[in-house]
Amino acid sequence: MLEIKDLVGGYGKVRILNGASLRVGAGQIVALLGGNGTGKSTLLKAASGLIKPWSGSITFDGARIDGLRPDAIVKMGLAQVTQGKEAFPGMTVEENLMIGAYTVGDRRKTAASLERVYSYFPVLKEKRRQLSATLSGGQLQMVCIGRGLMSSPRMIMLDEPSAALAPQVVLEIFRTIAQITRDGLTVLMVEQNVRMALLLASYGYVIRDGVIHIEGPADQLIDDENVRLSYLGGTVANREAKL
Amino acid sequence: MSYFIDLMIIGVSIGMVYALVALGISLIYSGLDIIHFAHGEIYMIGAFVGLTLFQELSLPYVPTLILAVLATGLIGAAIERVFYRRLTRSGGGYTVAGMAMVIAGFGMSIVLQNVAYLIWGPKARPFPVPYGMPLEIGDLALPISYVWIVIAALTFMLALHLVLKKTMIGLAMRAVAYNKDIAYLSGVNVPLMISLTFGVACALGAAAGVLIGPLNYVQVQMGVGIIVKAFAAAVVGGFGSLPGAVLGGLLVGVVESLGAGACNSCGNFKDVYAFILLIVVLMVKPSGILGVSAKIKA
Repeated sequence: MLEIKDLVGGYGKVRILNGASLRVGAGQIVALLGGNGTGKSTLLKAASGLIKPWSGSITFDGARIDGLRPDAIVKMGLAQVTQGKEAFPGMTVEENLMIGAYTVGDRRKTAASLERVYSYFPVLKEKRRQLSATLSGGQLQMVCIGRGLMSSPRMIMLDEPSAALAPQVVLEIFRTIAQITRDGLTVLMVEQNVRMALLLASYGYVIRDGVIHIEGPADQLIDDENVRLSYLGGTVANREAKL
Repeated sequence: MSYFIDLMIIGVSIGMVYALVALGISLIYSGLDIIHFAHGEIYMIGAFVGLTLFQELSLPYVPTLILAVLATGLIGAAIERVFYRRLTRSGGGYTVAGMAMVIAGFGMSIVLQNVAYLIWGPKARPFPVPYGMPLEIGDLALPISYVWIVIAALTFMLALHLVLKKTMIGLAMRAVAYNKDIAYLSGVNVPLMISLTFGVACALGAAAGVLIGPLNYVQVQMGVGIIVKAFAAAVVGGFGSLPGAVLGGLLVGVVESLGAGACNSCGNFKDVYAFILLIVVLMVKPSGILGVSAKIKA
């Protein structure tokens, strides 16, 4: 469904991605793993259109999407939930969700999406009139995932959905992600929580220094010593540092 | 007593005009994180566009107001798209281009003054709207022009409020104000919303210009005075807060009017009172009366 080939890119003059390639099949949950500064988020940002790749290609459902604007990519059915639980603080929970349906332009479809999101995250329905600034971290993450679902995408990219959340909440969010996938959504998930991510995913990639370093079915990666090592040592600088 | 009421009426209606300009400045600030110093000139252009429609096309006043507001909104959006947007090309968007944007705004203000000078000439021109006799309530005589300013301004403010709070477009404009990347990833057409935000802000400025026109003369320099008052209003109310801009505008208008009318020679210092108010508010509450933390916008 999503195919990334030899992607090179970065911010300004700083090169982060050095020819990363990966593919996500329809209906799959794929995990993208790696330490800090290895290019995970940059890869997602390139796929969602927030940054333009310097070279390489990104194909979604057979169509080239590299260089397109983020709103156009959302319209094609590929949504991204960024890292850091970024909701719009001065808006209510429901407004935060509604903005995700901006590309839909059909009241009935939007209302149906909203009900679907509320069925995944019932707590959001209770709090729908509250400002999102009053929510807990887990609830904020639900708002962000929910907002991503509001455009009824065929595939969603999640950037560290478990970051800075209590284990109990992480479990709940991961269960919901599994549920959403069963309902037909394809997921590419960036995670630092390697074990949880590989338990959920069917296939995994480990990125290091901006290239895919290891890949394989999730149940094999989970026992792989190299995965553990490359997760711990993110960048060249990190690995070569000695005390 | 009736003298006091007269002063209040003048203060409130002039305050509404300040509020409209301040609203535009605050809308641009909260949406794009820049301070638009050419907004007084947008107000001036709006007044001239209105005057032209009114005199050359002999349109009635209400269609004049609506058309001038729409036309100036488009002019504003075009200025943003053609000139200001270029400054964001080096990356980082409006927030990063901040200082360059401020300078560009000053430049734009001079350019617009000169363009207006070339088109409409240096003479102050009257905007003769036949309002008819004042409205009499008891022994109170309400000039229609003042009543009209208040009603029209409130209508524009209500329309802005409804658009921002009740429509998808308004929601998208607020989302862009908070976080352009997240708005983009939600599928919002961010460049279009930036144009729209700027256009609406300029439309409000034009409304103020067309409303004040019949009370004062319309002239090339009229934007210079208003921008200072509107900034004072925006800061008094809380910079970037839309209800704050309205409250600040009203306060500046009323304080100015009451101050000028307080004694026989007080009118000579008319422009001082707004700034005394500004200084007092900044001493007591530096974020402005309805000032909120920068992250709660619109």
